[in-house]
Amino acid sequence: MPATPSSKTTADKTSSQNPQKYGLTIGIECHVQLKTKTKLFSEVDNDARGKAPNSCVSPVDYALPGMLPRLNGEAVRLAIRAGAAMNAEINPKSRFDRKHYFYPDSPKGYQITQFYSPIIGAGFIELPSGKKIRIEHAHLEGDAGKLSHYADYSLVDFNRVDTPLLEIVSMPDISSAEEARDYCKELWRNMLFADVTNGDLYNGNMRFDVNISLKKPEATELGTRAEIKNLNSFRSVERAVLYEYERQSKLLDHGEKIVQETRGWSDATGKTTAQRSKEVAQDYRYMPEPDLPPLNLSEDFIQAEYSACPKLPQDYRRDFAKKLPTDTLEVLLDYPLLMSRLSELATDHAAALAYIANLFSSVLLAEENASLLNDKLPEAAKLAELADMKAQNELSSTSAKEIFLKLFEEKHYDKSPRALAKELNLIQENDSAALEALINEVLKDPSTKSAQEDFKNGKEKVLGFLVGSVMKASKGKANPAAVSKLLKNKLK
Amino acid sequence: MKIANQTTSAVSLVQAALGKIDQYQDWHIFTFVNRDAALKRAREIDKKIKNGEPVGRLAGVPYALKDNFLSKEGETTASAKILTGLTSPLNATCVEKLEAEDAIMIGRTNLDAFAHGSSTENSFFGPTKNAFDPERVAGGSSGGSAVAVALGCAEFATGTDTGGSIRQPASFNGVFGIKPTYGAISRYGVVAMASSTDVVGFFAKTPADLDLLMSVASGKDAKDLTSLPDFYGFEDKKLKKKKIGFVKEFVESPALNPELKTALEAKLSAFRSKGYEIVELSLPTLEYALATYYILQPAEVASNLSRYDGIRYGFRSKNLDPAKVCSADENPEKTALDLCYQQTRQEGFMRENKRRIMIGNFVLSSGFYDAYFLKAAKARTLIIKEFEKAFEKVDAILSPVAPNPAFRLGEKVNDPVSMYLEDVMSVPVNLAGIPAVAFPAGWTESNPASKSTKNPTKNPTKNPTKNPVSKLPLGLQLLGPRRSDKQLLEMVEEIL
Amino acid sequence: MEITDKEISHLASLSNFSLAADEKNALKTDLKNILKYISKLDELDVSNVEPTFQVFEMENVWRPDEITPQDASCEALLALTKESLDHQVKVPKVL
Repeated sequence: MPATPSSKTTADKTSSQNPQKYGLTIGIECHVQLKTKTKLFSEVDNDARGKAPNSCVSPVDYALPGMLPRLNGEAVRLAIRAGAAMNAEINPKSRFDRKHYFYPDSPKGYQITQFYSPIIGAGFIELPSGKKIRIEHAHLEGDAGKLSHYADYSLVDFNRVDTPLLEIVSMPDISSAEEARDYCKELWRNMLFADVTNGDLYNGNMRFDVNISLKKPEATELGTRAEIKNLNSFRSVERAVLYEYERQSKLLDHGEKIVQETRGWSDATGKTTAQRSKEVAQDYRYMPEPDLPPLNLSEDFIQAEYSACPKLPQDYRRDFAKKLPTDTLEVLLDYPLLMSRLSELATDHAAALAYIANLFSSVLLAEENASLLNDKLPEAAKLAELADMKAQNELSSTSAKEIFLKLFEEKHYDKSPRALAKELNLIQENDSAALEALINEVLKDPSTKSAQEDFKNGKEKVLGFLVGSVMKASKGKANPAAVSKLLKNKLK
Repeated sequence: MKIANQTTSAVSLVQAALGKIDQYQDWHIFTFVNRDAALKRAREIDKKIKNGEPVGRLAGVPYALKDNFLSKEGETTASAKILTGLTSPLNATCVEKLEAEDAIMIGRTNLDAFAHGSSTENSFFGPTKNAFDPERVAGGSSGGSAVAVALGCAEFATGTDTGGSIRQPASFNGVFGIKPTYGAISRYGVVAMASSTDVVGFFAKTPADLDLLMSVASGKDAKDLTSLPDFYGFEDKKLKKKKIGFVKEFVESPALNPELKTALEAKLSAFRSKGYEIVELSLPTLEYALATYYILQPAEVASNLSRYDGIRYGFRSKNLDPAKVCSADENPEKTALDLCYQQTRQEGFMRENKRRIMIGNFVLSSGFYDAYFLKAAKARTLIIKEFEKAFEKVDAILSPVAPNPAFRLGEKVNDPVSMYLEDVMSVPVNLAGIPAVAFPAGWTESNPASKSTKNPTKNPTKNPTKNPVSKLPLGLQLLGPRRSDKQLLEMVEEIL
Repeated sequence: MEITDKEISHLASLSNFSLAADEKNALKTDLKNILKYISKLDELDVSNVEPTFQVFEMENVWRPDEITPQDASCEALLALTKESLDHQVKVPKVL
C-alpha cells in the first residue's frame, strides 16, 4: 500500500499506522464550465461538442477591433445558484476585470474575470465525512481557446473562448490526498445537483488546480507551494497529491528548497513535471473592465436564484439516512435525476424505495449503464409497479431486472411494467390450484415415473428435473419456488 | 448640408466631393477613397428619388469616415501599420445607422495611429495638413475628418473623441464638432482606444447638421452594453437657468493664447446679449485632469491594444530570424511565437503607441496599481464632482478647446509632454463623460507662421507647403451636464 | 520615479516589443518625462474618495441567453488570418 498522507479529521487507518513526517496543506481552485446556451460574452453556441474547430466563434471571441463583450445574464443566474450549492454569500455588487497575458488561446490579450470584486463570497462544502472545506470566493470568467502543438507550428481553435466559467477557490483546508479527492467529488456533485454544469469531466467541464505545500508538524508557517494545473479526474487529483507529497518530502528530507512553480500532471507516467522553465513571475496587470457595466443585484433577484437551487447531495443524505444503506446511497448520489426520482418514490411509494434503489445501484455497479441515468428515467409510478410485481412474486428477480432495463428503452417508454411483462411473457403463475393442475399432469406423464420413484427413495436431486418439467409445461410462467414447494408436499 | 432631392442629385454631391478630394490630395486627408462604390450608390439613390421611392434623412450625402471605424469598404487600419490588410467583415453600428439613412461613405480619413495624438502626425501614412495652413497640423487625432469637412471633401465626417480628438481638430480647422455624452452613440465597431472615455461624434459645417447626425446615430445598441438608453431629443428643457459659466483657471492661465482669450470674451458677451447671466467658476481640480487622463488612458490603451499581435488579422512581421532580431528585453529564451509577437508589435506600432502602451503597463503593473491607476481613478471622481457642482450653478461652461490655435508640423511631435499639454482643456470633459460642442469663434489677426513663410501663393493646391492664408481659425467649446447634447447645440446656434 | 534600463526592458517585455538600443534610450527619456508630469497627481489628496472606472449610472446590463446570428461568419473571420490549416489558425511554434 502506498504511503498515504494523513488526514486529520477523517478516521484513517493508514495514517494512524504510518504517521506522516510532514503535514499537508492543500487548496484547490476549480473551473466549472456553466451550461448556458450561449457564451459568456456573445450569442454563439456554447456547446461545441462534436462540432468542427472554429465553428462556434463570434467576432467578439475572435477579438476583432471594436468588439465589445455582451454579458450573458444566464451565467449570472447560474453563478448565484452555484453559490447556493456552496452555502455561499452572494455579493450584490461585483464587477469584471481584465487579466492580461499574451498567448494565442486568448485572442483579446486578456481574460475577462472578476479579480477585485467577485460575485460569490465565503461559503463551504461539507464532505461526506462531515468535515467542512471553506470556500474563499468564486468568480465568473471566460475560458480560453484550445491549442494543439505540432513539430513546427501550433493550431488554435477558438470554440472554447469565453465559455462561461465559475472559478471556485477553496481555503487551504484540505489535508490529505483522499480529502482532496473527496472535496473535488463533492464539489462536482454539488455543481451537478445545482444543475449549473453538464459536469462532464472527460470533456473538461470541471478542471482542478491543486496547490500543495508541506510543512513539518512543529512548523507554524506554511511551506512553499507548488500548483498542479488542469487535473480533470478525481483519481488524478488523488494520485497527483500523493506524488507531490513524495516528491516534496524527498526534497525536504535532503534539506532542499521547494520551488514555487506550476506543474503539470501526466496520467500515463503518474508524475508531475515543472511546466515553465523560466520562472518569471507573471504580472497580469489587472484592470477594471471598462466595457461592462457593474452588477448590483437586488435581494429579490438573488433570493429567487438562491431558492431555485434544487436539492443537493447533503439534503438527500439527510432525507434517506434511515431509509437506505449508506454505501448504496453514495453510489446513487452521482445522479441528480435518479435522486429526485427516489425522493418521489419515498414520498408516494415508500414500500418500493429499497428495492428500486437496490436495482439502480446493482445496475450501475454491475453493468456500468451510468449514461442511462442522466437523460430520462422511468416515472415513479412505473418503478413502484415493478417493485410491487416483484414483491407479489409475479416476477422473478431476473425478470424484474430485465423489465427494469427495458423501461429505459425509447420504444418501451409508454409501456407499464405489467404490459411489458405480459408482452415478454414473464409473469409467474402463482395460483396454487392452477399449479396443482399442471403438476398433476406432469406426474401422470409416464416419462416422469422413474424420477418420482427416485425422489421417494431419497434422491432429492431429481426434484430439479421435475420442477423443470412443470416449468416447461407452464411455458416458463410458473413460479419455480412455488412449484418446488407443492411438488415436495405431493411426493411425500 | 446638401441632401439629394428632385433638384440636387446624389451623383452631383458625390462628384463635387470627389473633385475636392482630388484637389486637396496633398493635404493627405484620406487613407482610402471610395470612388466607384460611392458613385454607384449615388446613382441608386437618384433612381429611388426619380421613382418617388422613400429615401433616408441623409440621402446622397457624401461623408468621410475616420479610419478607426469598421466598415466593409476599404481597409480599416486606424492609420496603424499593424492593422494594414484588415478588411472588416462587418460594419460599425454608427456606419450602419448612417447608411440606413442613405448617407454615402466617400472615403476613410487619416488619424494619429490608434487615435494616439493631437496632431495627426503619428499616422503610419504620414501627417494630414491644416486646412488653412499646410505648414501647420490638422490637430488630432481626427485630423483627416476635420480637414475633409473644412475643405468640402465631405458634407460631414465621423470622429472619435477620447481626450479632445474631435474638438481640437475642429477648432484648428474652423468647423463644428460634437463630443457627445459618454454612451450616446454606440462604440460597437470602433477601434477602441481608452474605452471609458472613447466617444463617437461628428464634424459638420453647422450645429443643425450636427443635430441631425445626433438624432440619426445616437441610441441604445445591444452590441454596446455601455450605450445609454435613447435620450437625444427627449431632454427636459425646464432645466434652463439662463446662465453660462467660464473657468477662471483656464482664462487666467498664462498658457492661453491672448487671441483665444479675446474670442472667448467676445462669445461671453454674445451670450450676455442673448439674456444669459455670465458666471465665473473656479474649478481647481481640473488642474489635475491631464495627469489623471495620462494615467487612465494609457492603461486602457495598453489593455485594448494587446489584441494586436499579428496572429488573427492585419500585419505580421516577416523578420522572424532570431539571429537578426534585436533583443534588448529581459527574456533571452524566445519561442518562435514570442519572436513573432515582439517583431510584429515592434514594427506595427508607432513610437507614440509604444509610449502609451509602456506607460499603461507601468501604471497597471503590480506594485504601482494603487499609486497610479487607482489614485487617478479617485482623482477622476473629484473632477466629476467638481463639474456636477458647477452645473448646479450654470447651464453650460464656455471654454477654449486648446490653449493655442494650430501649431506647426514637427513642433511637438518629438516632445510627448508638450503634445499632451495640448489636451489640458479638452480631457476634463472626457473624464467626466459630459458632452461638449466645439465651434468656430473667429480668426487670428495674423498667422504667426507667415513670418517665416515668404510669398504665400494664391493657389494652395499646387504647393501645399506654402501658406495659403494669413489667418488661423480660433475654436471654443461649450460644455454641459450629461445628456445636454441637444441644448448645447441650440445654445451655440444662438450666438452664431 | 526613476526609470532604469531594467525597468524599460521589463516594460518592453510586458508590452511585447523588441526595442532596439537607441529606441530604448529614447523611450527611457520620454517615459521619464511623462512619469514626471503625471506625478503631479501626488499633490492631490484623494483619501476617502471612491474611484470612478466608468461614467454612466447603468448597472446589471446583460442580454438573454439565446443563440443569434452574428455580424460575421466563422469563415469570414478565419479568412482574415495570415495562415490557417484544418479550419484552425496557424501560429508559430509555442514551445
